[in-house]
Amino acid sequence: MKHDKQPNRLLEGGRIDRDRPLTFSFNGQSYTGFAGDTLASALLANGVDIVNRSFKYSRPRGIVAAGAEEPNAVVQLGSSEAAQVPNVRATQQALYDGLSARSTNGWPNVQRDLMGTIGKLSGGFMPPGFYYKTFMAPASMWMTYEKYIRKSAGLGRSPTESDPDIYDHLHQHCDVLVIGAGPAGLAAALSAARGGARVILCDEQETMGGSLLDSREMLDGQPAAQWADSALDELASLDNVTLLPRTTANGYHDHNFVTLHERRTEHLADVAPLANGRRQVRSRLHRVRAGQVVLATGAHERPLVYAGNDVPGNLLAGAVSTYIRRYGVAPGNKLVLSTSNDHAYRAALDWSEAGREVVAIVDARANPDGELVTQAQALGIRVITGSAVVEAKGANRVTGARVAKIDIDGFKVVGKAEELTCDTIASSGGYSPVIHLASHTGARPTWRDDILGFVPGKVTGMTATGGANGVYALAEVIADGSQVGAQAASASGHQTAPIDLPSVAAIREGAAVALYQVPHEKTTLRAPKQFVDLQNDVTAAGIEVATREGFESIEHVKRYTAMGFGTDQGKLGNINGMAIAARCLKRSIPEVGTTVFRPNYTPVTFGAIVGRHCRELFDPERYTSLHEWHIKHGAEFEDVGQWKRPWYFPQTVNGKPETMHEAVARECRAVREKVGILDATTLGKIDIQGKDAREFLGRVYTNKWEKLAVGRVRYGLMCKDDGMLMDDGTTSCLGENHFLMTTTTGGAAGVMEWLELWHQTEWPELEVYFTSVTDHWATMTVTGPEARNLLAEITDIDLDRDTFKFMDWREGKVAGVPARVFRISFTGELAYEINVQANYAMPVWEALFEHGDKYGLTPYGTETMHVLRAEKGMIIVGQDTDGSVTPEDLGMHWAIGYDKPFSWIGKRALTRPDTRRENRKQLVGLRPKDPKVVLQEGAQIVFDPDQAIPMAMMGHVTSSYYSPILDSGFALAVVKGGHKRMGDTVYLPMADGQTHAAEIVGPIFYDPKGARQNV
Amino acid sequence: MSKVAVFDTRPEQAVRAESPLAITRLADRVASNASAEAGVTLREKAFLGHLILRGGAIALDEAVREVLGISLPAKPSALAHDESGERSIQWLSPDEWLVIVPGGEEFELENRLREQMGDAHFAIVNVGGGQTVIELSGPYAREVLMKSAIYDVHPSHFPVGKGVTTVFAKATAIIRRPSEDRWELVVRRSFADYCGRWIIDASEEYGLNVLD
Repeated sequence: MKHDKQPNRLLEGGRIDRDRPLTFSFNGQSYTGFAGDTLASALLANGVDIVNRSFKYSRPRGIVAAGAEEPNAVVQLGSSEAAQVPNVRATQQALYDGLSARSTNGWPNVQRDLMGTIGKLSGGFMPPGFYYKTFMAPASMWMTYEKYIRKSAGLGRSPTESDPDIYDHLHQHCDVLVIGAGPAGLAAALSAARGGARVILCDEQETMGGSLLDSREMLDGQPAAQWADSALDELASLDNVTLLPRTTANGYHDHNFVTLHERRTEHLADVAPLANGRRQVRSRLHRVRAGQVVLATGAHERPLVYAGNDVPGNLLAGAVSTYIRRYGVAPGNKLVLSTSNDHAYRAALDWSEAGREVVAIVDARANPDGELVTQAQALGIRVITGSAVVEAKGANRVTGARVAKIDIDGFKVVGKAEELTCDTIASSGGYSPVIHLASHTGARPTWRDDILGFVPGKVTGMTATGGANGVYALAEVIADGSQVGAQAASASGHQTAPIDLPSVAAIREGAAVALYQVPHEKTTLRAPKQFVDLQNDVTAAGIEVATREGFESIEHVKRYTAMGFGTDQGKLGNINGMAIAARCLKRSIPEVGTTVFRPNYTPVTFGAIVGRHCRELFDPERYTSLHEWHIKHGAEFEDVGQWKRPWYFPQTVNGKPETMHEAVARECRAVREKVGILDATTLGKIDIQGKDAREFLGRVYTNKWEKLAVGRVRYGLMCKDDGMLMDDGTTSCLGENHFLMTTTTGGAAGVMEWLELWHQTEWPELEVYFTSVTDHWATMTVTGPEARNLLAEITDIDLDRDTFKFMDWREGKVAGVPARVFRISFTGELAYEINVQANYAMPVWEALFEHGDKYGLTPYGTETMHVLRAEKGMIIVGQDTDGSVTPEDLGMHWAIGYDKPFSWIGKRALTRPDTRRENRKQLVGLRPKDPKVVLQEGAQIVFDPDQAIPMAMMGHVTSSYYSPILDSGFALAVVKGGHKRMGDTVYLPMADGQTHAAEIVGPIFYDPKGARQNV
Repeated sequence: MSKVAVFDTRPEQAVRAESPLAITRLADRVASNASAEAGVTLREKAFLGHLILRGGAIALDEAVREVLGISLPAKPSALAHDESGERSIQWLSPDEWLVIVPGGEEFELENRLREQMGDAHFAIVNVGGGQTVIELSGPYAREVLMKSAIYDVHPSHFPVGKGVTTVFAKATAIIRRPSEDRWELVVRRSFADYCGRWIIDASEEYGLNVLD
């Protein structure tokens, strides 16, 4: 009997709700399924045979599997452009009302693939070794190929519109992480949780229970699914257990750090619906640090490799059972089962119980004798022994199976083939433990002849259990899981006993036989295509060709053929591929070895990887306490490290906003002629206390500190141990044992670490402590000829030029707020740097403006600061230096104390021959011959513009600006031997063909005697 | 002149002060979301006195007990409060503690501690302008922390009376647990707005209530 519009839907059975029909569309066609369906089960129910076209040969493909291992039914999801999701496995996508999916491959449609008809790639375009040979070709060709491959292969596409959904991360910690909630995982989680361990149990499917959900076995006399339900009920009731359904462990990283991708709303709609009127995340990445990891990921059934095994209607035997028992779908009418083992007989029994015809069971073994074999025979099913399906017939759907006796050891067909009429071929070549996650850690898996499969290699703190460990019989799986769970709990300090095991009516199974590729009457190279990796279109012939061309390492075979590439990661094909390579190379499978499976296990959406670290939360923006004022006054901001600093303050002049050039020219003039104010809060500030503070300063700075008096300030240079300048700034003596060091904005954290490093590792005997006070103080620089007059209006500090001199600091009140005022200057003008506790900065700043109008007080930003300091030849570390510049290169001999009694960092390096060299790049000023020219920063300097290319590059421009006060361009530069080349003309050949000429001058362009800051 | 310059940074007369989180305008941002069933409640505890103590534990312990009546927490990551719960000391590193007291007490406290410490090798630094305390409470406060910090905040690993310096989103922060149902973040002033906006975002699915 059939369901109305779902020809393959059974009237009974399955964990679906027939009272809740759901409408969905696939490739534009509307269908109906039921709540509880996956997209794959609903497509099969509706009799949709072809779901895709293959990657390389454009062959029609149908659904093969029922889980993560599905290679063909990879779809593009989303009913709107913004909601597009590529690479979704239909077998893992729960059906919801309105779901809209398309094949990722096959234009104009999968039924009549135009590319296929016109001979898309004709097989010849991408022969085996295509990738390898393309990569070996000139790199430029790859760009050409890649475009074409993507277009024709259809690997899905990303949306062109912004994602309407949000994603986030959750950091989790647990004693025991159990991955997989089948019988082994449930038993492990139960025994670990009962001992009080913090347990996380995750499972990639819609419903937890794994194989128990479609098992034929009874536990304690009840269907196995009931045992799963009661285990889940108990786990859900425990506070120490976190259950994560719809959650795939996608990556297993070092030290038991595992990332779990939880799909929270993808079973509801393609855009996350609101919950309680609030946005919810579409998917969430759990970043789990686990004490112990229990790998209960089960096993994937291996298909047999036979000719035409990719024609729609070829399925895994276990998938047939799953579709019938879990979804109430029989994906065909007449079944032929080809198997190497007893377990797969379940598919034929389920098929028969569903009322469909089992044409034959074709068993590769000569004398199969397990209980399931007997059951099948009792049902009157024809069992053909010592044989296999050697070829599937049909194009868009299986129409028949050619069955023949085979000699496995001799790898040949013996006797004449019989053709059976059927529409479905189920195959099983045994089971491969899902070792992918363990493999992510780099652990090489171990081959076990007794189970004909690889089990996970050893990973510290990880145990595999159940199918993942090659244990398949249900009773043993539950016992193993329970034991492993108890051990994992006890490893984290929680003593617990294994759970009481349910009674299982054990089914005796006969031994399986090792069969991977089924022989054909023709040789592998001449037989119809026998597919190994359906997603990447890798055939047995392709692997044979690879070995013939000399690729003997399985890693080379993989790259030559593309086997196990991409999102598939070799789930169905890898073991078969290795077995074929082993056969061709006349080696054993363990000798050939396996390739490395990589994260992610199945694709993870970029949103989940990014989490909330996007847009305005992508990176912290650090604000000073005056930030709001800057915004209100129209500042343009510059990023300095993570700080937002005002860059310049454009004003509206004659109804038009100033350009940066105009604003900076105005701000520069204001400082030189009247008074300007800068928010200098971002400079690093380090409080240094202790009786050895002064001695310590002497060791980390190049210059001398022993005589700096309380109330005085000094500029210092800090070198790395290689003698290269790393930071500069002023340090003030606040008390005999108390200093305040300032650093560059970007260097603050690095300098703090530097001081701690040398104190803790080299000079722990020095009594000194460092504490960052960068954020505690707000710093306002008031500078210009009117600075004193302005400040005098709102301070009680005596500003007399003879008592509060240049490089002095004083404390007092500014606008009623306690302040430390430092007379230091980065502009060359009279300047006061006012420091107040940051919470009170705004009223002080505003008070300065209340009184500043009559003096022409002008806020300025970093750009003006740069111009003004460069006019004075003052360097910026990181702009005029690059880690290869010594203080001597900068002409700062005056700031080096070679005769200090104790050595200092960088001293020895500064006496090396290389740092004494005369033709080192040295800091100079450059005056362009044409004053209208502003040289490009970074421009290379040559001495002879007429020499042949490549020219001898003798230096480069480090800072270059237009100076409004000089009405000329000017620059700082480093030039080889520059200090002795004053007055020389140098040349700057530019990319556009122009060559600028400039004269080498001293780096100080304005007020060389420094009179203006001393007024 | 004393060998260390102790400086009272608080103005004598009333001056308008702006807390590090003022710029975030929290109340305006979450006004539409505020409700009695909010899963997370946020309160900035602004303008408190913050002092960093550096020195040997034995000498500092005597001074702190004498002046504050609290034993110096010697265990790593320990957080101790006085009886009122208004004054706390937190272990930050083997020779470093954070003292937080009601705003205005810090200058006198520093002077009295200095007096007690005498000639010992130590440092006391006022950092009150440079950081602020954000209190989180409510049934989902822990989930917000789990979204934000790698550190394990499960009660079995993060009992009351613990505090750690760790990474919060992409900023550095201290996370501390003064009581069963309250968590505190101590964040640097310049990162406060970022942390505030992060918390608003992370709380969205639970509902956020902002208290003055």
